[in-house]
Parts: sequence; structure tokens; C-alpha cells
Amino acid sequence: MNKSKIIMAVTIGIMSFIMIYVMSIQFKTVNKTDVDELEYMREAELKEMLTNYKERYAETEEELKGVKDKINEYTQNEKSEEEALEVLKEEVKEADMLLGNTDVKGEGVIIKINSESNYSALNNDIPIMDDEEQVEITHEDLLEVVNELKLAGAEAIEINDERVVTTTDIFDVGNFILINGQRTKAPYTIKAIGNQAYLESALSVKDGYIDKYRSRGYSVEISKEKEIVIKKYEGEMTLKYIK
Amino acid sequence: MIILSIIIGCLIGVILGVFAPTISYVYTDYLAISIVAALDSVFGGIVATLKNNFNFKVFVSGFFGNAILSILLTLLGNKLDVDIYLAAIVVFVGRMFNNLTIIRRHYLEKWEESKNKNQTKTEEQKN
Repeated sequence: MNKSKIIMAVTIGIMSFIMIYVMSIQFKTVNKTDVDELEYMREAELKEMLTNYKERYAETEEELKGVKDKINEYTQNEKSEEEALEVLKEEVKEADMLLGNTDVKGEGVIIKINSESNYSALNNDIPIMDDEEQVEITHEDLLEVVNELKLAGAEAIEINDERVVTTTDIFDVGNFILINGQRTKAPYTIKAIGNQAYLESALSVKDGYIDKYRSRGYSVEISKEKEIVIKKYEGEMTLKYIK
Repeated sequence: MIILSIIIGCLIGVILGVFAPTISYVYTDYLAISIVAALDSVFGGIVATLKNNFNFKVFVSGFFGNAILSILLTLLGNKLDVDIYLAAIVVFVGRMFNNLTIIRRHYLEKWEESKNKNQTKTEEQKN
């Protein structure tokens, strides 16, 4: 009887302990919890919020899409303008190079022509001339060479440091040849930038210019170079009549 | 002796409860319903004691059984998306009011009886 009463008392004590303990846990949790915090919200509230946010998200996304499209349009416009500018710059650069307004370099050939009277002795096709009647290189010879080089695809030509440009004139004045208004004399060094093989073969084919000049008594040397530097045209190019 | 054990249990519970951990808010529903169920059992026990038909085993099994059952019902309600815990609270709290009424009446009657006895005693003495 006594024993069962003790058991009863202990059990009831434990029960009351459990109840108070659980209640204090509950009180503490409820007290501490901020109901507005997302973590503690009930499912229904969360659902409502979620749908609201979803709607707003859809709206904002649409707006964003519009803005992005606009930005795309602008950037595309800008890009095409930039590209056009780039192309133009490139074209101007190329035109400058071709015209002779800039120093250029590239592969090509160097031709040295000199009028050595004794050279013709080796070629017996033509009678040896007197020393006084030395064969002189004429402007026509140079013009021919230049023309041939152009035909072979030379992109830049220079004779004795004078760049050959569209307005270049080559003509004889007494003992000199005027190129771009500058007097030059033999020996002539002609530099040409272009395909080495084409340039060389154009000049040195059988019965080509080199053979012709050699037979005339000029000394002609042609050498292929990996890198030739041709300076820009020093004169001014002004337009007076082209309108 | 039983009252002493109740007091000791409550004291320990309060002292430990101060340092009790908090739980996730999600589970407060279950805890609340189990507390209500346990309180219902306690009042039921008190009433049974007053009526002199207190059964210890019934009391203990009711205390824990009701708590656990109410938690399970709440869980089921959550799964079914029906607020079953409301029904459980209605039942438990209704029964608690009933029991409280019975306890109140019991003590009121007792008090009036003792008052009457005293009156009759004093009257007898006077007479």
C-alpha cells in the first residue's frame, strides 16, 4: 500500500514536471517568435505572399525584358556605327599607304641600275661605245621599269628615296632625271614592295627589261628582300582643280 | 505526500524551464494541443479524486495518451488540410470547463455545509 503510494507520488511529480517544462518551452517559443518573420509564418500567409511576389516578379520581368530590348537596340546601333568607323579608318589607312602618305614596309625587290660603259663589253650584241658617248639611263627606262613593276602588282615604289606616287613625274633635264621635282643621277636604286616572285619574274624573264638593259650596257642587279622600308612622299598633295 | 511531489515537480519544471530551449514555431501547434490535453487530464483527475473514483492507471494513461493522440490528430489534420486541432481544443476546453464547474460546486457545497453546521452548532449552543 505504502509502496504503491510512493510510486504514485513519484509518477505524479514527474508528470507535473513534464507538463511545466513543456509549457515553459511553449511560452518561451511563443514569446521569442517574431510572427512577422518569414521563418515562423503560417502556410496560408506564406502562400499569399508567394503569389503576390510571383505577380510582381512577372511584372518586373516584363519591364526588364523591355529595357533589355532597348539596350540591345542601342548597343547594336552603336556597334554598327563603331564598325563603320573602324572600316573607314582601315580604308583611310590603306589609302594613305597606297597614296604614299605613310612609311610602309614589306617584302619586295631592290633593283640597282647603273650605266657602266665597260659592262657592255661582256655583252657583245651591241658594239662598244666610246667613253664619251656613255650610255645614259633615260627617264623612259625608269618609266618602263616602274610601269612593269606596277603591272606585276607592286604596291609601293621608290626611286633613289623618291616615292613614286600618282602625281610623280619622271623626266630628263640635262644630265639629271627629275623625279618629284628632285634631281637624281645614276646609279638608280629602285625599291618595290609586292610579291617577290612576281616582281622578280616580271623583270627578269627572258628578253625582259633586265636583259634589254644589260644588252644596252647598263649594269642591273636585282635582289629579293624580306623587308623593305619605303618612306612616305615628302611633297604636298593639294587639289586645286578637282572639285 | 502527493501534494509535496506535485510541488517539487512543478518547481523543478520551472527552474529547468528557464533554461529550456526554444523550438521551431512550426511545432508550437502540436505542443499547445498536447498541453491542453494534459491539463484536461489533470482536471479530470481532480474531479475523479473529489468523487472518490480516482484510478491512477486511468489518470496516467489519459494524461499521456490524450496528449499524444491530440498531437497525432493535429498532424493528421495538417496532412488532410483540415483544422482538426480546433475540434480537439473545443472538446478539451469544454471538458475542462465542465470539470472546473464540478470542482467549484463541490467546494461551494462543502463550504455551505460547514457554514450550516457551524450555524446549527452555534444555535444549539445558544439554545
